[in-house]
Amino acid sequence: MKDVFALVEHRQGEILDVTYEILSGGVELASKLGGQLTAVLLGSDVGSFTDQLKSRAHRIVVVEDDKLKNFNSEAYQQVLSALIEDHKPYVTLIPQSGFGVDLAPSLAVELDYPLTTDCYEIDAKDGVLSSFRQIYGGKVNAQISFVDAPGYILTVRAASFAVEEPGLTAEIVNVDSPLTEEIAYRKFVDYVEAAVGEVDITQANIVVGIGRGIKEQENLTVVEELAKAIGGVLACSRPVVDAGWLPKERQVGASGKTIKPKLYIAVGISGAFQHVAGMKGADTIVAINKDCNAPIFGEADYGIVGDLFKVVPALSEKLKELKG
Amino acid sequence: MAVEGAVLCKDLDLYNCIQCGKCTGGCPVSIRSSLNPRRLIYEALMGERFNPIERTEIWECTTCATCAERCPKNVRPYEVVLELRSNVIESGRVKPAVRDALESTFMHGNPWGRVREKRSEWMGDLKVTILKEGDKTDLLYFVCCTAAYDPRIQELAKSMVTVLDKTGVDFAVLGNAESCCANEMNELGEKGLFEMAQENNRELFDKYRFPSMMTTSPHCFHAFKNEYSDITFDIMHYTQFLSRMIEDDKLTFKGAIAKKVTYHDPCFLGKQNKIFDEPRHILQSIPGVEYLEMDRSRERSLCCEGGGGRMWMESESTEERLAEIRVKDAVAMGADVLATACPFCLLTLEDAVKTTGNEEKIQVRDIVELLVEVV
Amino acid sequence: MDIIVCVKRVPETSESDVKIDPSGVCIVQEGLVFNINEADNYALEEALLIKEKQGGTVTLVTMGAKASDDTLRMGLAKGADTAIRLDDPAFAGSDGIVTARILASAIKGLTFDLILTGCIASDDWASVVGPALAEMLGIPHATMVTKAELKDGSAQVSRELEGGLLEVLDMKLPAVLTIQTGINEPRYASIMGIAKASKKEIALKGLGDLGLEEDQVGKKGSKTTIEKLTLPVQEKMAELIPGAPEEAAEKLSGILKERGLV
Repeated sequence: MKDVFALVEHRQGEILDVTYEILSGGVELASKLGGQLTAVLLGSDVGSFTDQLKSRAHRIVVVEDDKLKNFNSEAYQQVLSALIEDHKPYVTLIPQSGFGVDLAPSLAVELDYPLTTDCYEIDAKDGVLSSFRQIYGGKVNAQISFVDAPGYILTVRAASFAVEEPGLTAEIVNVDSPLTEEIAYRKFVDYVEAAVGEVDITQANIVVGIGRGIKEQENLTVVEELAKAIGGVLACSRPVVDAGWLPKERQVGASGKTIKPKLYIAVGISGAFQHVAGMKGADTIVAINKDCNAPIFGEADYGIVGDLFKVVPALSEKLKELKG
Repeated sequence: MAVEGAVLCKDLDLYNCIQCGKCTGGCPVSIRSSLNPRRLIYEALMGERFNPIERTEIWECTTCATCAERCPKNVRPYEVVLELRSNVIESGRVKPAVRDALESTFMHGNPWGRVREKRSEWMGDLKVTILKEGDKTDLLYFVCCTAAYDPRIQELAKSMVTVLDKTGVDFAVLGNAESCCANEMNELGEKGLFEMAQENNRELFDKYRFPSMMTTSPHCFHAFKNEYSDITFDIMHYTQFLSRMIEDDKLTFKGAIAKKVTYHDPCFLGKQNKIFDEPRHILQSIPGVEYLEMDRSRERSLCCEGGGGRMWMESESTEERLAEIRVKDAVAMGADVLATACPFCLLTLEDAVKTTGNEEKIQVRDIVELLVEVV
Repeated sequence: MDIIVCVKRVPETSESDVKIDPSGVCIVQEGLVFNINEADNYALEEALLIKEKQGGTVTLVTMGAKASDDTLRMGLAKGADTAIRLDDPAFAGSDGIVTARILASAIKGLTFDLILTGCIASDDWASVVGPALAEMLGIPHATMVTKAELKDGSAQVSRELEGGLLEVLDMKLPAVLTIQTGINEPRYASIMGIAKASKKEIALKGLGDLGLEEDQVGKKGSKTTIEKLTLPVQEKMAELIPGAPEEAAEKLSGILKERGLV
């Protein structure tokens, strides 16, 4: 029986969205493999989570331990590897998240299992596993194949699987924690929330995002004008924050904020996955970029292929005229 | 890393200095920053030790060379600035924008962070001959990184080839093989990068056969004419070539520009290379142009603060920018057009037109942009 | 503090057109410009800052062909003390875990308090090497580090999670930290500095020197392979508004007005 494990990701009392995605993907994969999906829930005092999970897996394995209270890849790895040794799932799915990135590679080494990360698609033709991931900033897709192995570790990109409600009834299995000692060499201290700052971009109806295309900090004024003309707030992609041109609270993306405005205008943003993850929920997306091949045009509703230093000032002008 | 004043005195011949102060008196940025060339030399003469990283004023210098121009004892004070800059460059502690421009020049052959394979996109639909190795042309047009990649300055390059076509001269460009002259890298103090660029460019030029080269930018012109050694071709700024074409009747006019036009002498064309007349000749040849001479013109032209690596640096000063003073002066004299012949001057002056709110009153144009309308 | 920094030489592809090689399993390298992986550059800078503050040494390690010497020289010019390049024809086709294995075999004989490397490589986007390396060396790790305060034998690190949330941890050293971009402002390495650094010797180690077997490395040793590369097909495409900037801007503002967005 080729079963699938899927690690439940939760934090500060909530199950994260990506968990529901990988459970859906896990059910589908398990069915292709002719096996079943087990959701693996590790934590302290997390029993109540099973209510939200029980229709989405065939089985939920719960390991509760005070030492699992806050995510710690060392503790999680010890428990997970013990569970995997016992149950021998064919595939273990972990989200490619802040948690997953920390856990999957070392787990794979400990188990000596093949590992591939950040998959957007997983296939199992005739029981043979293959996965798909992106390289070179999303410009190339790679199909990955594996050697024969007793098990595989795959981390899954957020928003790769649609959330389905398979209407299952999971068997809930409580397993004793194998952890014997506190992990002295890596201790959780605290979570620190992102500073809200003067502007909360998640509350704005109209957001103008700026990316590397702006080239220099001085050029921000061009886009600030547009934000003003359109009555929106200025946000940005990661490189702009790394360069210190805008504060972190303006960053839209996987490691920044997720926004769902009525209108998002992406200026000089290529549309790399990490940024898109934070804005694809916008009602209307407009992209302005000089590269007609920029991935952002695949996400946008409207686009202008052109030089932002010409298009943006022209747009600001027209919008000011409209407002009268 | 400290720099010893005594070493500067010896290496740069500072002992000739009589501390007259004409350098600081003529230094355009000294009116809005704490840059004081005379003082720097004083400290060196007194044998003081400089800590270049703390001397932030050295980054205000535009290397316009007014100080050297005015010095009665042939001292070149701005070389002290360059030495101190070199020291900071070697320590690696430069501002991120400068770092990026230097790294980009090394990796991509241009300081603007753009890839080499897009260097010829400015041509659009224009038919321009790109030289292949071993090819020959009468005139090599050296486009310049800023003209190749900056959307505003691409207009200059396009106008230039249109005008060159009208002269009937046999000309060509290097296409994607063209690499930064590295003049600004030299002015920023990255001597190693400049040497490397020079070597690579000389090797590159040897692959083609051309007796003359013409540049868009006075900075490229200055580098090839004065800083590069063993240049085997005749080097001109485009104003020299086009002025001659007008004189030789190779360019004729079929339109007019009925505007009041004044001219801003770029420091690297005027002060540094004494090319004052040719740009004026071109402007004054254009039918309909009423040419106005600025008070601070020729050697006294007020630096726009675009040179010396300043395109990648924000001044620390909150005083009025020199480019803004320039624009206001041009507006006050009633000019419709402020003409210039340098991509950096064009960009900084155009910025200043916007920041002073003079968009309705005056336009900044490169000379070639005016020419292309009427030839 | 003795720090090892693992770096990688990668192509700059953000603005370039990427083409797939006829073999179908790699990209065309001609015309691409190579540089140190961005996140590794931040890791290197972090190591140099720690060295400046607390003293110690910085050792660079890379797995790569001769051209990777350029990357190492740049690091030496910036202030690293020694550099080691791991190269062998047998290494070709190594996946992330095998890369970690090769690095681990070079590193395990060295004395170190800390290993830093970038959290992600801009070519493969895999984020595998750091934690895998730590596991193989038997030391703890933390990924996506945006801040690290080091004391004797321990470190307090901040890790970046989703939505700007940070996780703060206390770690015992030695450990592997994978560094997130933006943690510092990397310095510049001058051309003359790099030329001077060329005088420093770069230690070169191959399969035999590292005590590895052929079946542990390269394609043979890898449990994953790139089967095929394809260019993504843009399934959905925005409605592109044609025309010169003014025209397009006018049309767009018209559309936005119609949709009640402005």
